[in-house]
Amino acid sequence: MSILVAEHLKKYYGEGETLVKALDDVSLQVERGEFLSIIGTSGSGKSTLLHMLGGLDNPTAGKVIIDDKDISNLKGDELCIFRRRKIGFIFQSFNLVPSISVYENIILPLQLDGKKVDKEFVENVIETLGLGNKLDRIPSKLSGGQQQRVAIARALASKPAIILADEPTGNLDSKTSQDVLGLLKTTGKKFDQTIVMITHNDEIAQMADRTIRIEDGHIV
Amino acid sequence: MLDDAQNGTFFESSYDETKLSRLESRWKEFLETSVLSNRNLEAERHRLEQFISDISHQTKTPMTNIRMYTELLNEEVNKLSEKENEEATVDRIKKYAQEIGRQNERLEFLIDSLTKLSRLESGTLEVVAASSPVNELVKKAVSAVKPKADKKKISFMTADAEGDISITASFDMKWTLEALINVLDNAVKYSPEGGRVEVQLSETEMYAAVHVIDEGPGISEEDATRVFGRFFRGSDVQQADGVGIGLYLAREILSKEDGYIKVISNEKRKGGEFILYLRK
Repeated sequence: MSILVAEHLKKYYGEGETLVKALDDVSLQVERGEFLSIIGTSGSGKSTLLHMLGGLDNPTAGKVIIDDKDISNLKGDELCIFRRRKIGFIFQSFNLVPSISVYENIILPLQLDGKKVDKEFVENVIETLGLGNKLDRIPSKLSGGQQQRVAIARALASKPAIILADEPTGNLDSKTSQDVLGLLKTTGKKFDQTIVMITHNDEIAQMADRTIRIEDGHIV
Repeated sequence: MLDDAQNGTFFESSYDETKLSRLESRWKEFLETSVLSNRNLEAERHRLEQFISDISHQTKTPMTNIRMYTELLNEEVNKLSEKENEEATVDRIKKYAQEIGRQNERLEFLIDSLTKLSRLESGTLEVVAASSPVNELVKKAVSAVKPKADKKKISFMTADAEGDISITASFDMKWTLEALINVLDNAVKYSPEGGRVEVQLSETEMYAAVHVIDEGPGISEEDATRVFGRFFRGSDVQQADGVGIGLYLAREILSKEDGYIKVISNEKRKGGEFILYLRK
């Protein structure tokens, strides 16, 4: 059963002569628990696609259905709340809150939602990501790879319907990238978490169960 | 809120998260979990069906071959009693007998792997990760494949990529040995006669890595994502011996101990390279 469905997604910018078709009729399905990678060069439309899938931007036409809910027409606060509950994001630039501890960062989305922290689950996530002895530190005291591991923990902690990762190793050296990708893969399987990852790198894409290639706004 | 919406008096700005909406969302979560467990059962049943059909398909080829060679063998033996061309007949008999032996081995390996796999998947045998030295794992695995390698005059080169420090990781010695032997076995199988197989160690903050590098044809980019699938055979190696379960088993074992396995495709390097990542 598909946890995420995109139907005939289009995103056009400008009009007439300056019309740019960033996404042109893209359809895809992601099954529960699957690790999908979307690969493409810069300007291929892969980031635009991720923004549509994550409700960060509205498509010109088409539908995005996450966990049986069509999010393409949600707006403002409604969309914001849906995102917080259903989607975990991992960005290239980690995006941790600098002034609070690692642990506080991990449970922040849960607290914003007024949800009770599932302590056993969160501890298991922390242990699996090897962050047990770093919980009291603030993010700037951690290496890039460690910060990205915190971001993975934060995304997992709220048990979202889907995790979207945008070039998660873009700012990391190759050894650290291997750690982050390995952990993303193993935690995905361990916690039955659906993951969609955007990358421009074939070797990184290979970590996924399935790969989709996008070029000029089309799936090829 | 719903009433507001029906009356057309609902404004987006007044959409707030009341306790009711939170209750709704919790309730939906609960319902989903029960639907999910049903779905899991269904998926499990489907997996089992697939597994059984895979097995019957995979056992058929060696069985058919054995039957065919047995028939040929019988024909030749009959000829022998006619005392015609005795020498050529004996040669053929030898060849057929060898072929039967080979198919038998293949079948044995398949059934052995399947038994292990089913025990692993059903949880009859558990993978218990414990802190162990990676050097020891490599040493044991290499000595297990040595006889096969010697037959093809293939030499092993084992070296720590980063000096002689002994790396430890958290893994199940017995099962991981099984996984590494499968990978080494492939390296030997696809290496040319007289080739060399390198085993190197490296480590990152989270993983100890065992690299197995051979001088064989390697794995194409296209096959790289599929090579760990059950009963997958590379398009270039359809004719070679093998049943396509070794790497699948290796992947299953590693994932049970929070590790993973990957392949470097042959666009990136000459020959094949598999890397086993063991969680530290």
